[in-house]
Amino acid sequence: MSKNQELYDGIMKGNRNKVIEIVQKSVTEEVNVEEILNDSMIPAMREMGDRFSRNEVYVPEMLIAARAMQAGLSLIEPALTKSGHKSLGKVCIGTVKGDLHDIGKNLVAIMLKGAGYEVDDLGVNCDVEKFRASVDRGSKVILCSALLTTTMPYMKDVVSSIKGSAAKVVIGGAPVTQDYANQIGADGYGSDANDAVKMVDSLLGVKA
Amino acid sequence: MKPMTSKERIHNILNRKPVDRIGSYEHFWAATNPQWIQEGLMEKDEDVSDHFNFDIREHWSLNLVADTAFGEKTVEEDEDTVTYLNGNGATLRKHKKHTTTPEHVAFSVKDRNDWEEKIKPLLKAAPDRIDFAAYRKARENAAHKNLFFTLSGINVFEAIHPVCGHENMLMGMALDPDWVSEMASTYAELIVNLHEILFEKEGLPDGIWYYEDMGFKERPFMSAQMYRELIGPAHKKTIDFAHAKGLKVIMHSCGFVEPLLPDMVESGIDCLQVIEIKAGMEPLRIKKNFGDRIALCGGFDARNLANNDIPAIKRELDEKIPALKEGFGYILHSDHSVPESCTHETYKFFIDYGLRLGTY
Repeated sequence: MSKNQELYDGIMKGNRNKVIEIVQKSVTEEVNVEEILNDSMIPAMREMGDRFSRNEVYVPEMLIAARAMQAGLSLIEPALTKSGHKSLGKVCIGTVKGDLHDIGKNLVAIMLKGAGYEVDDLGVNCDVEKFRASVDRGSKVILCSALLTTTMPYMKDVVSSIKGSAAKVVIGGAPVTQDYANQIGADGYGSDANDAVKMVDSLLGVKA
Repeated sequence: MKPMTSKERIHNILNRKPVDRIGSYEHFWAATNPQWIQEGLMEKDEDVSDHFNFDIREHWSLNLVADTAFGEKTVEEDEDTVTYLNGNGATLRKHKKHTTTPEHVAFSVKDRNDWEEKIKPLLKAAPDRIDFAAYRKARENAAHKNLFFTLSGINVFEAIHPVCGHENMLMGMALDPDWVSEMASTYAELIVNLHEILFEKEGLPDGIWYYEDMGFKERPFMSAQMYRELIGPAHKKTIDFAHAKGLKVIMHSCGFVEPLLPDMVESGIDCLQVIEIKAGMEPLRIKKNFGDRIALCGGFDARNLANNDIPAIKRELDEKIPALKEGFGYILHSDHSVPESCTHETYKFFIDYGLRLGTY
């Protein structure tokens, strides 16, 4: 199946009603929903991520695109489950202990879901045990976010506690740098939300 | 040049006119100063601004919360955090042990209808929104010491998102821009009217300081076009009012707001603070591109202060101060707030060496 341009454009423009209309029609007509997802919906969100990285769109456009994507996804999820569809992999995300700032974390979660990952959103103020529990539930990558210089050092604790397991740790947030990621032994660093998705792709060997 | 008073100095800096030295001011995280007091490095109850002879004193005199009588009602509490409902209809969670921006849990305002029904009717410019006595006292204290005194507070961006949350506000910018524009205009009018009431009764400050966190790491929350169309006109209204009273305006923003700066300058700001390095802001580039139109305050990496890395602090001061002091128009400040890991000795080195380099 080729790309449904109308659906692709609907997500890019954040036109939730249009996306619902097209996806509902596809579901009713028993079109292969996995193809809709892989050929039109995920490529649209990935393109939005790239445009975000190039500063061609900003958070408002990203949020409404994600809202439209989510509306479409909720319609095809039952059929996806029935067909045995598998996501690109399970990852978890949360702000580290002491940090209640979740705007950046939410944006990364949105883009990961849009890219085709199953996201275990742990919320804010996550301690090591919370991240480890998600790994036990099958998360292959832990994404840690911190806004403050005062909360950033906790990332080192997360990295230390995960070392030795199969899971990888990606860190990001305002005070975080590649140098800091190297210093604490994190597996990856995301300079922005889209970069974080690409880092997860790379760690899990996913070709977008 | 003979030494100037703080009031004269900051006045000239905001007008980019000759001064004896660059200005000085700082923000600290709540735990930093108590630690220095505990260590016996500051007197008990001593104001850190007095301790380091900063040039500016601020006072936050206005309350823009929709329902001022509501207060905060605790919804849930655990060992570390308190979840509460406030007068904006927002449910927030904050830490008990340290001060930080609270987590957004839920907002009762999600769209235009909620705003018009629940918030807008409450936004009246009533005297009970103003702490006249505290303003009077702070203003008199500053005047007594010849310090530059600002009336500080939030402007429209920081007034809107506590009511509907960042996500609803930002989605509103894309889905219902007229709603966001209308909220901005309503808050701008409220701010101007409250200022009118305060100034008429208590007299003018020396300047106005607006806090607007419009960016995050490497990008602003909105495009320049969205700023220009939705937020800029409200900023201009409040800044035009200040200018009409002869008051210069300092505007704070965390995050990377360089793409918005041309329009912020159009809106009339006289000084940009805080120039956050870790978000991607670069004071020397901003000085080069905008230094002929605005003064700057900040732009020194707080991570060096947090790490007590004196060689890095010295290197940064040596590199930046000579360029920032050119043409006047600079106030020394970190790029955010000084955290508790910064020692008194480190901060003293930063301010002493910075001002030595910044003396003309």
